[in-house]
Amino acid sequence: MRPTTERGTKRYVAGFYLLLLGGWQTLFSLQLIPDYLFPSPLQVGERLWELARDGLLWPSVSATLMRMTIGFSAAAGLGLIVGVVMGMNRVVNQCLRSLFLGLQTLPTAAWVPISLLLFGLSDRGIYFVIIMSSVAAVAIATSDGILHIPPLHLRAARTLGTPGYAMPLRVILPAALPGIVTGVKLGWTLGWHGAVSAELIKSSVGLGYLLYMGRELNDAAQVLGIMMLTILFGLLLDRFLFGQIERRIRKRWGLTSQG
Amino acid sequence: MQPPAAPEHPPSAEPAPEPTGVKLRLANVSKVFRNNEQTIEALAPVSLEIREGEFVVLFGPSGCGKSTLLNLIAGFDAPTTGEITLEGQRVRRPGNDRLMMFQEHALFPWLNVIDNVTYGLRWLPNFRFRPLRRRRRAMELLKLVHLEEFAHASIHELSGGMKQRAALARALAPDPKLLLIDEPFPALDALVRAKLYGELQDILVRTRKTIVSVTHDSREAACLGDRVVVFTKRPGRIKAEIKVDMPRPRDINDPAVTAYAAQIAAQLEEEPRETHDGKRD
Repeated sequence: MRPTTERGTKRYVAGFYLLLLGGWQTLFSLQLIPDYLFPSPLQVGERLWELARDGLLWPSVSATLMRMTIGFSAAAGLGLIVGVVMGMNRVVNQCLRSLFLGLQTLPTAAWVPISLLLFGLSDRGIYFVIIMSSVAAVAIATSDGILHIPPLHLRAARTLGTPGYAMPLRVILPAALPGIVTGVKLGWTLGWHGAVSAELIKSSVGLGYLLYMGRELNDAAQVLGIMMLTILFGLLLDRFLFGQIERRIRKRWGLTSQG
Repeated sequence: MQPPAAPEHPPSAEPAPEPTGVKLRLANVSKVFRNNEQTIEALAPVSLEIREGEFVVLFGPSGCGKSTLLNLIAGFDAPTTGEITLEGQRVRRPGNDRLMMFQEHALFPWLNVIDNVTYGLRWLPNFRFRPLRRRRRAMELLKLVHLEEFAHASIHELSGGMKQRAALARALAPDPKLLLIDEPFPALDALVRAKLYGELQDILVRTRKTIVSVTHDSREAACLGDRVVVFTKRPGRIKAEIKVDMPRPRDINDPAVTAYAAQIAAQLEEEPRETHDGKRD
């Protein structure tokens, strides 16, 4: 088989999505499922446009993004601190690692009931779900990043006279950065899951809320449309924001082979 | 070009330097590594004196304990027996009075070239809150190693030889009492190495550092050392000392260097056959 060029691959990917849309439209045209349950891509687009025109879409998108910005910043900061302590202390690492790995098996939506009990229907509960969903991933990745620091860098730092109190900020965190960014990226995705799950139940604005409303109104077009938007925003930030940062760091740290 | 002005060292309760001019003294230093399964005697008791301004090369086959000895001097490890003193003060832990140039450059990838060089200065009292002073000192050193145009480059943008030169600048910046070099230029091609040997000697003549380096390359030992200390295989002990009496700078391809190298290598050949397995590397 001939090797496919990068541009060639991109064409195939674009073709794949066109095919997917075409398949969807064909399935719709066959009318096997009633159209109020299974709308066409066009109907979904129309519904999104209506929502945007009526001023319902943007406040929800920005509300979810805002909650993520605040909640995830807190989670990342917390995860970073806990991860550094884990990375520097074997006992703390052993204890918290098993706990966090256990917590990570919990679906993010499973945090919603307890947050309802603790915080009622307030926004604080959403922050709680975001933080609980993502903090473990950031902490584990941070501690892994620290444990995989090349010993040579630590030796160099010590011989150059770095005092103990300056090690975490001057050496350990920057040296562990490639691992940390990977964790932050994963944490963002999990936090995003958590945010939308929490909004399903306890919010009056947000992408999750629009999903919930779509179901209440039996509006399959809205449900599908918001699902697609959720994927889109999640992907955009994951691939383009965190992905770019990750790529640049890995390059600078000399970790990429293919550039 | 003027040699860069030496930064003053932190005033510490230092006893006066020994009158003999001995900078570093190793007295019966040995190292035994123990773990659950086995005990490895890496280094038999070794005594050695290194004088101010001397370049001493520890030469021997791999596994002879020469790198272990370098780590002991750097303070990364404590000797099992014996004592290491630098200017009369006992070595207990790593410190910036004994800077090490590592086998792999060990530059920090999160800092650019000049920030790598200023890094070690940050912790010296004279430079503590003086970023401008640190930069000036770092630029002097980058000029010395011919990297001034790459001051703001990232580490991954440098070639192998440039990385080693940057590492040298970083190690020289805090003006250590002793420079330790672990296999100066291992992963470089012959041409780059030959050039770097020249540059390194040039820099050393200017800065008059006391240096201990480690190598298993007899040519390198002959080219760089004032004195070459030959170690036997494990447990390492001193087999011979050879004074290399040649003016600097020496060219690695000079026949006289080759002659010395042969003399150094011959010290190992004289070992009884059964103690070495032919592997020198």
